[in-house]
Amino acid sequence: MGGLLSYFSALFGSKERRILILGLDGAGKTTILYRLQVGEVVTTIPTIGFNVETVTYKNLKFQVWDLGGQTSIRPYWRCYYSNTDAIIYVVDSMDRDRIGISKQELVSMLEEDELKKSVLVVFANKQDIEGAMTVTEVANSLGLPALKNRKYQIFKTSAIKGEGLDEAMEWLTNTLVQAK
Amino acid sequence: MTDSKYFTTTKKGEIFELKAELNSDKKEKKKEAVKKVIASMTVGKDVSALFADVVNCMQTDNLELKKLVYLYLMNYAKTQPDVAIISVNTFVRDCEDPNPLIRALAVRTMGCIRVDKITEYLCEPLRKCLKDEDPYVRKTAAVCVAKLHDINAQLVEDQGFLDALKDLLSDSNPMVVANAVAAISEILETSSNAQPSLEMNSGTINKLLTALNECTEWGQVFILDSISNYIPKDEKEAQSICERVTPRLAHANAAVVLSAVKVIMKYMEVLDIHSDYVTMLVKKLSPPLVTLLSAEPEIQYVALRNINLIVQKRSDILKTEMKVFFVKYNDPIYVKLEKLDIMIRLTNQGNIAQVLAELKEYATEVDVDFVRKSVRAIGRCAIKVEQAAERCVSTLLDLIQTKVNYVVQEAIVVIKDIFRKYPNKYESIIATLCENLDTLDEPEARASMIWIIGEYAERIDNADELLESFLEGFQDENTQVQLQLLTAIVKLFLKRPTDTQELVQQVLSLATQDSDNPDLRDRGYIYWRLLSTDPAAAKEVVLADKPLISEETDLIEPTLLDELICHIASLASVYHKPPNAFVEGRGVTRRSLPRNQSDAAVGETSSEPHPAPVQQPTVIPGVDSLIGDLLDMDLGGPTPYQQQQMLSQLPISAPTPSGAVDLLGEGLDNLLGGGGGGMDALGGLNDIFGIATQSSFYVPPQEVWLTAVKGKGMEVTGTFARRNKQIYMELTFTNKAMQPMMGFAIQFNKNSFGLQPATPLQLQSPLPPNQSASTSLALNTQGQIQKMEPLTNLQVAVKNNISVFYFSCQIPLHILFTEEGEMDKKDFLSSWKEIPSQNEVQSTITNVQHNADTVSQKLRNNNIFTIAKRNVEGQDMLYQSLSLTNGIRVLAELKIQPGMSNFTLSLKSRVLDIYPFIQQAFDSILHN
Repeated sequence: MGGLLSYFSALFGSKERRILILGLDGAGKTTILYRLQVGEVVTTIPTIGFNVETVTYKNLKFQVWDLGGQTSIRPYWRCYYSNTDAIIYVVDSMDRDRIGISKQELVSMLEEDELKKSVLVVFANKQDIEGAMTVTEVANSLGLPALKNRKYQIFKTSAIKGEGLDEAMEWLTNTLVQAK
Repeated sequence: MTDSKYFTTTKKGEIFELKAELNSDKKEKKKEAVKKVIASMTVGKDVSALFADVVNCMQTDNLELKKLVYLYLMNYAKTQPDVAIISVNTFVRDCEDPNPLIRALAVRTMGCIRVDKITEYLCEPLRKCLKDEDPYVRKTAAVCVAKLHDINAQLVEDQGFLDALKDLLSDSNPMVVANAVAAISEILETSSNAQPSLEMNSGTINKLLTALNECTEWGQVFILDSISNYIPKDEKEAQSICERVTPRLAHANAAVVLSAVKVIMKYMEVLDIHSDYVTMLVKKLSPPLVTLLSAEPEIQYVALRNINLIVQKRSDILKTEMKVFFVKYNDPIYVKLEKLDIMIRLTNQGNIAQVLAELKEYATEVDVDFVRKSVRAIGRCAIKVEQAAERCVSTLLDLIQTKVNYVVQEAIVVIKDIFRKYPNKYESIIATLCENLDTLDEPEARASMIWIIGEYAERIDNADELLESFLEGFQDENTQVQLQLLTAIVKLFLKRPTDTQELVQQVLSLATQDSDNPDLRDRGYIYWRLLSTDPAAAKEVVLADKPLISEETDLIEPTLLDELICHIASLASVYHKPPNAFVEGRGVTRRSLPRNQSDAAVGETSSEPHPAPVQQPTVIPGVDSLIGDLLDMDLGGPTPYQQQQMLSQLPISAPTPSGAVDLLGEGLDNLLGGGGGGMDALGGLNDIFGIATQSSFYVPPQEVWLTAVKGKGMEVTGTFARRNKQIYMELTFTNKAMQPMMGFAIQFNKNSFGLQPATPLQLQSPLPPNQSASTSLALNTQGQIQKMEPLTNLQVAVKNNISVFYFSCQIPLHILFTEEGEMDKKDFLSSWKEIPSQNEVQSTITNVQHNADTVSQKLRNNNIFTIAKRNVEGQDMLYQSLSLTNGIRVLAELKIQPGMSNFTLSLKSRVLDIYPFIQQAFDSILHN
């Protein structure tokens, strides 16, 4: 019975899924959001605060929150954790220096109670640039293999070229629908 | 179960519910929730805990919801300055929203969020909005600049927003112009830094005038206020601006009318007062002011307060409109009193009859305050219009006959003033006044009545009885009454000394012994001493003619009036106080009226110090010695009183000779007796050292001061020198008579620089015939000062066993130049600037064969110090300073052209009299 209901709701997209896009500043979060929403690359400025947009993918409606990644704003990510279905964690694959910080942020975030049931998708972004870390490198640097009790997947993406986003969203959609 | 349950509440409460609703998926529910939050906020509940949740509702396409969130933000951003930063991105986005209403809303709200962290992100969106295509956004952005300036003035200046704001003055949309003007005036009021970049010029004024006709009434007020702060270049410009502002006088909005009046009042200052144009303007000003008086009482009052200022500044504006100021029975009291005030200001010979009839009517009204003021007004009319004085007095008498207590009292107070204005004219009414003596219970009226009795004691037979009756309750009287009573009784005594001695003693003892009021006691003592030492003098002092009182006693002081005229149509003009008297925490710049250029020129020359030193004796730099002060005052010829004071301040050690004859009085013998051998030796040593070290000091050759013929065989030659900071008079006495001379002594008359012998004259004595003896007489400058003509004149008396001889000689000024005359470069520069340029005098020194360095060395040897040397276009400029023993400083600029033997000397000092002598000193030093 419950399965049937959720099937319908998924079909009509009546309930919006809540997704957070997080990551360090300059990782490409805002670009990804608008790439997903309008399919175009928009010029962005550092997000001091947040952007929220509704994205429809395969009949599924997502309320996507793109939160600023600057150090001063990271403390306020927690204000957005409740009822979150999925987290898109964006990593700048070129930024080897700060991958450590990125890992710390990710780890401390995943410890939050409110995010216990959220699905994690990691975007190893900026793959279009030569010399970027490979997906495996990124995954290891973030310590993803050590994650337990978490549905997660990592994708190599390029928001500028629009590569890898579809696969990622596909996986995310399926995972969310199955979870219900 | 433990007691901890009391702390873990099961009921999550309203905040929790609201939080859940705010995070709801349904937009309607969200909006409802925000409305509930705002409602709680407005009734004072603290809903700041919901900050993040509310802000998360900010990104919405629902305008209503957005406005609500903005409202919440404005209220709570300050309490949550850190979290508030998450709203920034939304503001930035909203400032680029396609809907101009949202853009404007965003920039307006952002300006209201006074959180430093947010302000820095506001700049970029604000810059865009200032150039927005939509006028509503631009206008909102203009106001936002002013808001931002209030938060962070430096930021606004650094970001170039002031220029952007100024650009908006040329905007095509009048509403934008008006708001830009408002923002600029707001900024200028708080900051002086912004002044230069926001200064109006004729171009911007022109744009404002164009916008003036098209914008809303409140925009007009801002524009007019701003125009009124502009100072027109010349009469022509002032006239053309007035012409374009005049149509505003017919506007329906009272604020616009008053602002236009302000502009015209200010600009009239620049215009020629006698021109036809001003006459025309004056005519145009009165109808709109009259119209204001038909509005509601509150507006009437504001108008009246402003009119009160206007008629004080220019009485011709409403002179023919007396009738509109007549009081209506149903006017509120505040309007009545103000109208009364203006009526009196407008009263003249032509309308006095009408006014008086009105005032008489008012004096029978019921309102006590109004009646009082009316009675006073009658008195003021009498003082103002002499022709009507008699009628006023009889009106007052009529009113006194009514026996209404407060009317009588007021009447007596003003009658006292009338007596002072027209002495010996209306004293016949004193009898009537005396009849009402018993009814007076107010101090002012009692004091006035007592004054009248004292002043006219000789005409009031029973003055002593009357005053005595007041004296009974002396202790209980008000100070004002006590003082009057004291004076009145003293007057009475001086007029009728025979039978009032007892009375005067009684009042003096009451005032001096039984009172603890210092004023009363002091006055009592003064009278007592005057009466006991010199009754004649007392009579002259106490019964002296009093100066007549002026016509208008309550005029606003002119500088304040001018300032208030600049604030017409503001609260300042209603309070009649300058804004800084009641506005706190703002560096309100004081405004002043512009001045007509021809007037200003005249004013300047008259207000600038006249090129005589006496005009500003106290500002001579470096004068700390008493001598210096005295000399400076002396140079300008002080009043005898000042002189006396000066003399009394001088430490007088020697008997003061009052003239040349007394020069060698008894004191001289003492001085002679005091001379010892030790002094001689010391003098000799000084001589040796002096010659060794300061050989280059210019000592003029000895001159014959007293010829043998005049000196009965004694010839005196002499000169002056300066060695080791000491002034010497070098004297040579030659005996050309047949017998030896002895008993030499010397004394100086008072002179301009207070020179006097520091030691007695040491001279070989007796001096045999046909022999000469030389001596150096040390001098100091502590003697008495009297300005001599010429300034350097020194009168000397020399005594020997034959007689006393008088001669005079000239002091070469450079012996008075002190070793301390060297100034710091900076001080020199600032002093040079401080001294008005008309004090600068140039002269030429001819035929000098030295180069700059030699010149400067030579002058330095004579205590003229070269502070700086500059080479300008091949000419050497020497900047020099010197200081006289009396503290006068002289600054000099010596221009030396190589190959030319003529030097140009410019002198600058506060004291001009000494210039010729300084020039002479330069001349003689350089030619030595």
